[in-house]
Amino acid sequence: MHDPRGPNKNGPGPSRREFLRGSGAAAAATALATAPLAPLVEAAPAPPPQGFGPGPVTVGLKVNGQYMTQKVEPRVTLLDALRNYLDVTGCKRVCDRGTCGACTVLLDGKPVYSCSMLAIEAQGNVIQTAESLVADGKLDAIPAAFVKYDAQQCGFCTPGFVVAMRAAFDKNPKASPAEIEEGLSGNICRCGTYQQMRDAIAALCKSQGKGD
Amino acid sequence: MAYTWPIKRRLLGTKVARLDGPEKSSGRAKYSFDINRPGMLHAMILRCPYAHAKLKSVDTSVAERTPGFEALHRIAKDGAELNYAGDEVLAIAADTEEHAADALRAIKVEYEQLPFFVKEEDALRAEATAKTVGGRANVNAPAEPSVTGDIDKAFKEADAVVEGVYGSHAISHQCLESHGLVAEWDKEGGLTVWCSTQATDGTAQGLARAFKIPQTKVKCITHYMGGGFGSKFGPDVQGIACAELAKKAQAPVKLMLNRAEEITAAGHRPSSYGKVKIAGKKDGTVTAFSIESFASPGAGGGAGVVVPYVYTIPNTSTRHTNVRLNYNAQRAMRAPGHPQSCLLTDCPLDDLAAKLNLDPMKVRLKNLPASSEESAKTNKTSYAAIRHTLYTEQIQLAARLAEWEKKWHPPGQGPLTGPVKHGIGMALHTWGGAGGAPNDVLVQIASDGSVLVQSSTQDLGTACRTVLAIITAEILGLEPKDITVRIGDSSFGRSTGSGGSTTTPGVSPAALNAASAARDSLFEKLAERLKAKKEDLTIEPGKVVDKANNKSWSWREACARLGMDTISGLGKWTSGLSNNGVGGVQIAEVLVDTDTGVVRCTKVVAVQDCGLIVNRLACESQVAGGVIASINYALFEENILDRVTGRQVNPDMEFYKLGGIEDMPQIVVQMMDMPERGVIGIGEPPCISGAAAIGNAVFNAIGVRVPVVPFTPDRVLAALATKEGKAST
Repeated sequence: MHDPRGPNKNGPGPSRREFLRGSGAAAAATALATAPLAPLVEAAPAPPPQGFGPGPVTVGLKVNGQYMTQKVEPRVTLLDALRNYLDVTGCKRVCDRGTCGACTVLLDGKPVYSCSMLAIEAQGNVIQTAESLVADGKLDAIPAAFVKYDAQQCGFCTPGFVVAMRAAFDKNPKASPAEIEEGLSGNICRCGTYQQMRDAIAALCKSQGKGD
Repeated sequence: MAYTWPIKRRLLGTKVARLDGPEKSSGRAKYSFDINRPGMLHAMILRCPYAHAKLKSVDTSVAERTPGFEALHRIAKDGAELNYAGDEVLAIAADTEEHAADALRAIKVEYEQLPFFVKEEDALRAEATAKTVGGRANVNAPAEPSVTGDIDKAFKEADAVVEGVYGSHAISHQCLESHGLVAEWDKEGGLTVWCSTQATDGTAQGLARAFKIPQTKVKCITHYMGGGFGSKFGPDVQGIACAELAKKAQAPVKLMLNRAEEITAAGHRPSSYGKVKIAGKKDGTVTAFSIESFASPGAGGGAGVVVPYVYTIPNTSTRHTNVRLNYNAQRAMRAPGHPQSCLLTDCPLDDLAAKLNLDPMKVRLKNLPASSEESAKTNKTSYAAIRHTLYTEQIQLAARLAEWEKKWHPPGQGPLTGPVKHGIGMALHTWGGAGGAPNDVLVQIASDGSVLVQSSTQDLGTACRTVLAIITAEILGLEPKDITVRIGDSSFGRSTGSGGSTTTPGVSPAALNAASAARDSLFEKLAERLKAKKEDLTIEPGKVVDKANNKSWSWREACARLGMDTISGLGKWTSGLSNNGVGGVQIAEVLVDTDTGVVRCTKVVAVQDCGLIVNRLACESQVAGGVIASINYALFEENILDRVTGRQVNPDMEFYKLGGIEDMPQIVVQMMDMPERGVIGIGEPPCISGAAAIGNAVFNAIGVRVPVVPFTPDRVLAALATKEGKAST
């Protein structure tokens, strides 16, 4: 598998800088490690920043264990790249401005609103959508609890909730129901399945997010 | 023969996890918004930015040269009157969404701005001849109120009279999957749409009419849909535009509304306000109710209320004014008219109870509608025939679950001494929820024992798939997971739209008839091959039994005898298996912070009848969801219109508030299973009385009426400041 960013795992910020520099992974890693931290050290002047766009650029994304490349304009959000260009549709577009949580994906295990970051920023990160929470037809404990306790009606918000809840349990398997609820505070359900979600959370907290 | 619901129920009324749950919760379910067709284009709509304007000219010459531009469809012609900010001008399609947005920005439109009203009170204050919406009068009211009994005498002879203003602002459906579709024409001139709709059948028919093609050439697919709440019927403006663009571009086209469009152009629950005067006797009998109400359907036709709601009051006077505004047309939203009517009746009722120094629960029990002996003659389990007994039982049950006797206190005299005050309140509701024709269901049994149930109906989140599987499995002695369910495709026959809580009571009788017909046909086919009489054959869990000879075959074994044959049972909706009319009671508890004005709902008890329960799990979830919709309505939601620009200032999800999980109270749902009544719909009733119950709980907490929902901190503080409860809408 080819990873254009190499081993650098400094998160989405550095990823973009590195992308803008358009240089090799190792050089970028060095520059990132030194430049912002040691402004007084004399260094060779940085090459002028390279702009991208407005035309399409090739973006490589690691999604649900698969490496995918696609030409998209730099203005395309991670959400739109996943949905419109890579046909990964578990993340939903609802508010499209970082309020409702329906577009939540895991970026290196942390929940992020994929509508509020650009696809080119997410290169090199491990991206997981709700579709990753099923293996060989067996559901992960979180989506399984949503089914068992009927914590979904229309289901359009559900993949976002499921991903956010998975992240909350991964962060703290011993989390209390209140702490899990806090982890879901960035998500909105319109059908009103919160009571059933609480039933699911109560059961999941007993098993530390592992399910029955 | 007429089939009936089984007396002994094995699956019906139990808790069955929804069959499509795994697909949905793991993001694999494909909604209309998720459909990506090969070569698909993306479309967007250009909308009028003004509340009222004449479309003078449109210049698309630059747009048509932007990269990726593919097709254009004019919706409004030059010279057309555009009646609200968000009214459609044209639609374009391009190869990517980004290019579609570019093309839209490159279009130059000239408008002539016209006078407008976006606030009810402004239109009411204006000249009576004002016509700012499509040339029709803004304000319409009957000259005289409609009167029953002797209202003046009743007010004169009353022991207490209360006057006040009550009401609710407009809210948006906020369907998470916005309105929209993917449209694709085939080489034979057939049209397929993947549409987020509450009516696959109706949408296909609407498109056939619009494009003058045979109904058999149009297919509407809705395998999954992300919420409708009453706002998604028929092809709609974007449906026609999308299919036009697909035809012009000769390519599949996707057109889904963005969030701002969803809120400002796809319907809303109308506002409703009323000046109410209510009177009663010392014993709690309500003797008179008069109301001057007004409501706005936006640019739509009308927005009515049903008042007084539920209770029987002998002397009434009602006059309702319809106020058209330059705002998108109202659409049905979960129990249209009822939450408003409940607020306009149940809140004044509590204010009267307070003036009479009575427990409002006892006042309710005193004024319940009588059960109708006349109705009992034709349908002894109809709502009208049983309502007095039903409500009495429900109030008693809810009061017990909410510990009403222990927790209720006279308004403003709760036990908490700090700035945070406790309150408890109650309200009642009713709804129809009758199913009807046409609803066709097909059940097929194959020789390997597999069973298919098929209907063109759609699942809005009510677990309709699972409903069909439960009924089929109940009749054939199988488990719901054994049944293959195919729905959400208009080519599967006729079905009614999912409005008015009619889907479950519409498809359930048809499914019972289809499964029973398939079973009888199976017996007929097998009798000779099993050396049995068909009258002796019966179903037990997992097997076919010959009662006469005490022999049995496993289901698969029996079906294997079909050989080359396949069994089909077609069922239609027939009367007698469903019913009309439910009652419900909700009790809410709140904590009101009198320093900040913040209301927190801490507990809701919902007691609900829905006749024969098909799936208890989904039913309870539906009721809890309805309660949550009421909490949002009561505390958070509001479409805020700006009278200067004529636009909505919060067409989004950050300034348009919806509660999250941490905002929600403990919700106790108590279903009344009444199988003798047949199936009755449940989608709407639980959304009705919660807001009024919360309103009454706030009144109970602080001893002053907050007149208009949502009970936001500013309104609570304003009410506390006046201590008179005078409304400011």
